Amino acid sequence: MLKTAKSHCGRILKLVRKYTGIDFLIKKFKHLPNKYKRMIYGFIFILPWLIGLIYISIPILFRSIRMAFSDKYYYIIDVGWRITGKWYDFTQFKRIFMDEPFHVTRIIETFQDILIVVPLVVIFALILALLLNQKLKGIGIFRTIFFIPVILLSGNMLMNFERNSLLTVPAIASGTISNFMTDYFPQVFNEVILGAFGKIVLILWLSGVQILIFLAGLQKMDKSLYEAARIDGASMWELFWKITLPALIPLIYINVIYTTIIYANLSNNAIVQIINVHSDEAGILAGTLTDEINYGRAYSAALSWILFLIELVVIGFYSFVVRLSSRKYD
Amino acid sequence: MQYPTKMKIKRILFGKNDKYGLIFKVIIYVLLIGISFIFLYPLLAMLAKSLMTVEDLINTSVAWIPRNYTFKNYTNAFQWMNFFNALFDSIQVSILPTIATIISSSLIGFGFARFKFPLKKTLMGIMIAMFLIPSVLTYIPTTVLYQDLSILGIKLNLMNSIRAFVVPAIFGNGIRQTIFILIFYQFFRIIPDELFEAAEVDGSNVFRSFIRIGIPLAAPAFLICGLYSFVWYWNETALARLYFGSHYTTLPMSLDSFIATYSSMYAQGNVTLDSVNSIYNLGVQYAMTLISIFPLLLVYLFAQKWFIEGVDRSGIAGS
Repeated sequence: MLKTAKSHCGRILKLVRKYTGIDFLIKKFKHLPNKYKRMIYGFIFILPWLIGLIYISIPILFRSIRMAFSDKYYYIIDVGWRITGKWYDFTQFKRIFMDEPFHVTRIIETFQDILIVVPLVVIFALILALLLNQKLKGIGIFRTIFFIPVILLSGNMLMNFERNSLLTVPAIASGTISNFMTDYFPQVFNEVILGAFGKIVLILWLSGVQILIFLAGLQKMDKSLYEAARIDGASMWELFWKITLPALIPLIYINVIYTTIIYANLSNNAIVQIINVHSDEAGILAGTLTDEINYGRAYSAALSWILFLIELVVIGFYSFVVRLSSRKYD
Repeated sequence: MQYPTKMKIKRILFGKNDKYGLIFKVIIYVLLIGISFIFLYPLLAMLAKSLMTVEDLINTSVAWIPRNYTFKNYTNAFQWMNFFNALFDSIQVSILPTIATIISSSLIGFGFARFKFPLKKTLMGIMIAMFLIPSVLTYIPTTVLYQDLSILGIKLNLMNSIRAFVVPAIFGNGIRQTIFILIFYQFFRIIPDELFEAAEVDGSNVFRSFIRIGIPLAAPAFLICGLYSFVWYWNETALARLYFGSHYTTLPMSLDSFIATYSSMYAQGNVTLDSVNSIYNLGVQYAMTLISIFPLLLVYLFAQKWFIEGVDRSGIAGS
């Protein structure tokens, strides 16, 4: 009984293969030259990603653009998504910059914040990587501690810290050093340095992966180069500026980009907070018309494009700075 | 040969040639210890405060060491967040997408690393460019898209189910999945061609040699990607809330909702000195935070090496 059923199934499958053309394709494929076969195999392996690109990534990108340049973007049950407004009206951008002075200040704050934090994170990461690269006893323990943020870092965690003023160690933020600084140093200088003190935990917590990247670079460095330089009488200071730093410059670019993207996307920055609040309150999931009366998807999409522009400006600016200051090595 | 004492002291203090001197070592250790303290400060402060009673929390003269130790905050936290349910949800929400992520990333990475096909460079460029687009930008359109996403004519009903994490991961759109694809790409690229050629001569087809040669030789990549992916899905709360609504409540999500409740009560002035017995206080919040990160710390302590190696092997730094 089972046997006959099996053979029936097999026969049906054979027929299906014959008449749907699969047999033909397989035959053709077997006769292809090896080169083309491998091409097709390659495409088969990356097929999941290709499908994802066509069905998910690209539509998301286009929707995001279309949303930001629309008046309203809403969902009607049984009908689907509706867009109103012409793209060249720039409705949402006008709203942000003309009707919402509060949001504009938040945008500027975010911009300043990212502009200050990014270089500090990269510099701290470099210093910490240099420290961890020393061959000393017990360095493994410090490594374990330094990389804890790699797993714990999330926007909510940082927001949690921020709300409970755990972003700085009290003794650092308001101690002798800061008093001394405010007394003897110029205002602009102080703002940056004391700002860094006020966020020291944030800066260190953000620098986990960057330290790893720098460390990997440091450990790949050619040891014989150092020996040669030392024989020629170079001091440790000179070794750092003349050999270590030039070799790390490509990694500095990577870290600037990484830090900017990660920091700008953490939910503790002002723009993301606005977006989060609106996506919660506007009830994205509910998707009713009334959401759009307040701030809706279109408004949030426009805000996120502004954040993206800020990121590009910051990355561009610091890449330019690194390039300028590293020109003497070429 | 006898050195003069002065020289000896100098050598010990300032070092000689390759050896570091005592002064240098002391400076480095002091720096390392200081920085470690700053790193751990928020966690230590939370630990200290989570062991305090409400009276101690309010008393500003108690900074680090509580006058009376109490574990009541922890028991309250366990009860409030419904620990075992939340833990189960958390594990579910992080492990299923992780499995999908490593399977699809390994296939895609293998495809990019071992085969030559037209547009390969362009496609990889597109992949990396897509990764650089910030997640905030795709946040809202993603939720819009997922509500009625259908792939190849199959309607997926992603919303309010774990599929909202798993399906994008299958199609290479998981959380920071490009990094994983690149790690696999690096691993598969360094396997010598001869191995695969020998297997093919012996009659193995491509898929078989992927399973028999590729996977065993890239075993560390599976571990690294699995760990990072697990941690990132565990920490993801914003997307989880948008996708799952109230269908899943992970540990970090329930911490979030506790904080939201607590801060709204605080804003309304409902948290006063009288409400000493209320469970809404900072001690419980900190206890909850520590509980929600404890599983991650455990994973980290056992698999620390792989977390650190991950960045090294991903080829971000050089190569």
